[in-house]
Amino acid sequence: MAEPRADGDGDTTSATNQKAVRQWLLELARGNRLWIRSTVAAGTVAGIATIVQMFLLARIIHLGVIDEVPVAELTPLFLGLILAIVIRAIGQGFQARLAARCSEQVRRDARRRIHKHWQATGPVELGQSSAGTLAREWIDHVEALHGYFARFLPQMSLAIIVPLLILVLVFWLDWLAGIFLLLSAPLIPLFMALVGMGAEKLNQQHFETISRLSGQFLDKVRGLTTLQLFGQTAGAAELIRKRSDHYRRITMKTLRVAFLSSAVLEFFASVAIAVIAIYIGFGLLGYITYGPADQLTLFSGLLILLLAPEFFQPLRILSQHYHDRAAAMGAGAEILERLNLPVDSHRPSELAGKVSARDVIELDSVSKAFRADHEVLLDLSLVIHKGDVIALTGPSGGGKSTLLHLLAGFMVPEKGRIQLFGELPGSFRFGWLGQKGFLVQGTWADNLRLTTPDASDVAIATALRNVGLGPLLDSRKDGIYSAVSEEGQGLSGGQARRLSLARIFVADYDLILLDEPTAGLDSDSEVFVLEALRKLAVAGKTLIFSTHHHALLTLANRVLLVSGGEVRDA
Amino acid sequence: MRDLKPWLDLIFKRPGRLMVGGVLILATLISGIALLAVSGWFITETALVGLLLAAGVAASINLYVPGGAIRFFAVSRTVFRYLERVYNHDTVLRLLTDIRVALFQRLSLASRSLRGELSGAQWLSRLTSDVDALDTLYLRLIAPTALAALVTFLVVVLASVLFDMRTALLVGLILLVALVIATVGVYLRTRHLAARQSDRQEALRTAVIEHIEGFAELTAAGRTGKHAAWLMRQAHQVTSEQAKADTRVGWHLAGSHLLINLSAVFALWAGFALFQVGAVSGPVLVLLPIALLGIAEVYAMLPDAFAKLGATVASAQRLNRDCRANVATADVSTVDLPADTALLAENITVKHAGYAPLFTHFNLEVQAGERLGIIGHSGSGKSSLADTFAELLPAQGKLACRDRVYLTQKTVLFEDTLRANLLLGSPNASDTDLWRILELVELAQRFASEPDQLDTWLGSAGNRLSGGEARRVALARVLLNPAPLVILDEPFTGLDAETRARISKRMDGLLEGKTVVSLAHGPDALPGTDRVIYLRG
Repeated sequence: MAEPRADGDGDTTSATNQKAVRQWLLELARGNRLWIRSTVAAGTVAGIATIVQMFLLARIIHLGVIDEVPVAELTPLFLGLILAIVIRAIGQGFQARLAARCSEQVRRDARRRIHKHWQATGPVELGQSSAGTLAREWIDHVEALHGYFARFLPQMSLAIIVPLLILVLVFWLDWLAGIFLLLSAPLIPLFMALVGMGAEKLNQQHFETISRLSGQFLDKVRGLTTLQLFGQTAGAAELIRKRSDHYRRITMKTLRVAFLSSAVLEFFASVAIAVIAIYIGFGLLGYITYGPADQLTLFSGLLILLLAPEFFQPLRILSQHYHDRAAAMGAGAEILERLNLPVDSHRPSELAGKVSARDVIELDSVSKAFRADHEVLLDLSLVIHKGDVIALTGPSGGGKSTLLHLLAGFMVPEKGRIQLFGELPGSFRFGWLGQKGFLVQGTWADNLRLTTPDASDVAIATALRNVGLGPLLDSRKDGIYSAVSEEGQGLSGGQARRLSLARIFVADYDLILLDEPTAGLDSDSEVFVLEALRKLAVAGKTLIFSTHHHALLTLANRVLLVSGGEVRDA
Repeated sequence: MRDLKPWLDLIFKRPGRLMVGGVLILATLISGIALLAVSGWFITETALVGLLLAAGVAASINLYVPGGAIRFFAVSRTVFRYLERVYNHDTVLRLLTDIRVALFQRLSLASRSLRGELSGAQWLSRLTSDVDALDTLYLRLIAPTALAALVTFLVVVLASVLFDMRTALLVGLILLVALVIATVGVYLRTRHLAARQSDRQEALRTAVIEHIEGFAELTAAGRTGKHAAWLMRQAHQVTSEQAKADTRVGWHLAGSHLLINLSAVFALWAGFALFQVGAVSGPVLVLLPIALLGIAEVYAMLPDAFAKLGATVASAQRLNRDCRANVATADVSTVDLPADTALLAENITVKHAGYAPLFTHFNLEVQAGERLGIIGHSGSGKSSLADTFAELLPAQGKLACRDRVYLTQKTVLFEDTLRANLLLGSPNASDTDLWRILELVELAQRFASEPDQLDTWLGSAGNRLSGGEARRVALARVLLNPAPLVILDEPFTGLDAETRARISKRMDGLLEGKTVVSLAHGPDALPGTDRVIYLRG
């Protein structure tokens, strides 16, 4: 069970938030206006065809029963009726098809926007959120927009258009019956709000219960081995049953109330039909002498009756789709929160001022602060020559990583100028090795070709051997074409980092930046990483790494001490 | 479809509830159809009588029965709908409990080594959605389909009574086709798309996570754009398949509605023939087509539900696979333990399925009462060895040991109270016992100062505790257990050297007379030992 949470965090903040989310959803809708309009158009065609169908049905019955016209003479009307039915079905089908396309476009659009934001954010800032969370936003939250755009949004328009058309027709047939329907119309927004509130509450309640229950259940499944080791599985099963049952009772209490609001809509629809039926019946009998009742015929009476449920149907559908709106609002809020995170927008796009020589890395009075009062690097000027092996050392938090991130172009300095071999940071390809290795599901070759698509098989095998993964490779059947992680068991942290290093080997970059390349490695991996870096250094690559590791410090031909916002030779 | 059987059996263990729920739905549906049909009958009747009255012919009409019926059905539709929703949601929540408990029991009987592959947040979240797919099976699929068939049958019977057999049969035939299109048809046309959906989505999730984890490297190599474009294509494939399925559902729904409307047209046309020969009256002629139009609402929910059936079957398949029973994998020949031996391993092979063995011809004999330390660096297979001793990992060879208790390298605490977490080790322990053991691991003060003391809630995966505290709770739980053989894998993770030394000393006293096998990466991480062996990976 999740720990008890406080409900809601301030209604005022969520209200403004909701407005922003609604606006964002509308913006997405605007970009796909055409699809939404076509969906509504198809729905309207189906709605009009329904009205025509009912019209002809009533007409046929009137002619056949009252005027006793022979069936044969009714054939054209019957054909018209069938045509209306077919058009109605085609309209319905196209509505579904267009709605599906619309939501498809919207989701693609939303994904593109999120990814653009990721790219603008850069790897350092992005790393602040867990990959699982980001993936959930990109996949699940975007999926949650589906119902809103495919069902709710078109239905909002249809719930106005179709009832309005029916209302006009009914007024023309019998204004008193029209008034019955109209009377319920101003009430409709009212009880829609009621239903909406109920649905929202229901949705929220349902969601909370489900997530608590599954949390509780998953917790036990996660610890199943432990429960087995202590022989306590039966007790745990009983606990799951008891807690589930407890939640059921609580949930049912709220559901009983929440369902009432949707019963109101149902009640209105039923009573309106009943009232109209009885009014028409009495009118036809001539019992009602005022108003238009004496003009009623079987045709007009029957048509009004047949149209009455169609008047309420779009609203009922809308209320069924209400949870789509709630889901989209929830997901939208989280996506918007991500998109509203500030990004470094002042990225220089071209070299400003003087261009430095092509064989040096030059930092010119560079400053970087994370908060206004906390300068990590202050007015830093530095020249590094091509082919140098630079070790950055100093206390943690001293700015080593920041300096690397600036050189990589993952961050932008507040002030100053950085040029690498006469180019801007991040404008050319270079090698990066973070503290966590990175691998994708697939073969060894897939993993290396991720960054170097045209690498040859030999180059890949050589690179892997260079980082000491040779023995592991030999133990696999298909060499570089065997899967990296087999049987669900992945590589160790050290092996993963070596795999990343192999990517650098195969790519042949001039500049290689490494953030604590040996931190947290087991001794085997450490030896291989050191050896690999030595090979790269010998090959004349420019290496810049942060480290505390003694052996790495000796590898460098220049050691820089980064501390208190300053950098000096150690 | 066979995969659904065990879950359907489970659902049908509550026949009474399902029946009552079904009857309530039926009453709702019939009220809706009857409201319109009776209204149509009433209007036609009054129109005819009205004409006679206007012509000065003496005619009478019973207004009370139809008027009352209309009012009754208007109210009963609302009331039954409300009751049906409340009652059936209660049923769904009960089924949810049943399914979770059953699944848990099955998982706990399932092969342990299999479950090793199935772990991690992704598998767990998938498990949740798979269970959710099953617990709405009754309300979304079974009940609506059964009732749609029943209502259809009732309307056909009505047609045969009011009209004639031939019309009834033809109407029945058209409706049957409509029903098949809305159910089986949808299932067959979306089955493959729906079954694939979940796998595709998981593959996509893995790819996105990899993309983000490698974002820095990909940015450096200038490949984020290319890789993202590839991801977009994957995502697009998932959504476009979904759109395809949605479109098919839409067309099937439209098709079944078309047929329902056609059956009403046909009934009207056939009715006129009967009307003109005087076999049926005008009001009755109107009643049947209107009742048929009402069937549309009964069928409306079916295509959506059947579009999800393919995914539901896939969910059931996955759950069944996760619950596969233990297929006697371990060919361990049990040996009789000599009286003074606590653990005996002869010539065992330790290996993970599909991997090269970690140890072969491994021999070990631990005397009762002995304190054995096993040291090996990370990756040397020491935890696998401990798993083998605890029989979590099937071993080949001869292995025998006393009743044992095992502290796994991974700290596993439950979202529950401290008491509940500790009692796992020894269900009958008294509060005094618990406090004593907390004292030993130096947590007594920590929890004595909490307002709830032993009932302090340990949040999600014990996250209210620091790593060292959580480790000590797990250690305390193991120390509470009376088993004569104690296996401890890295017992002191996250503890500083001084705390470790103090706890280790107290443990020596507590574990007096028991056999202890402790494993760690270095000698200073071990409790007191009589003998130490080193593993070379």
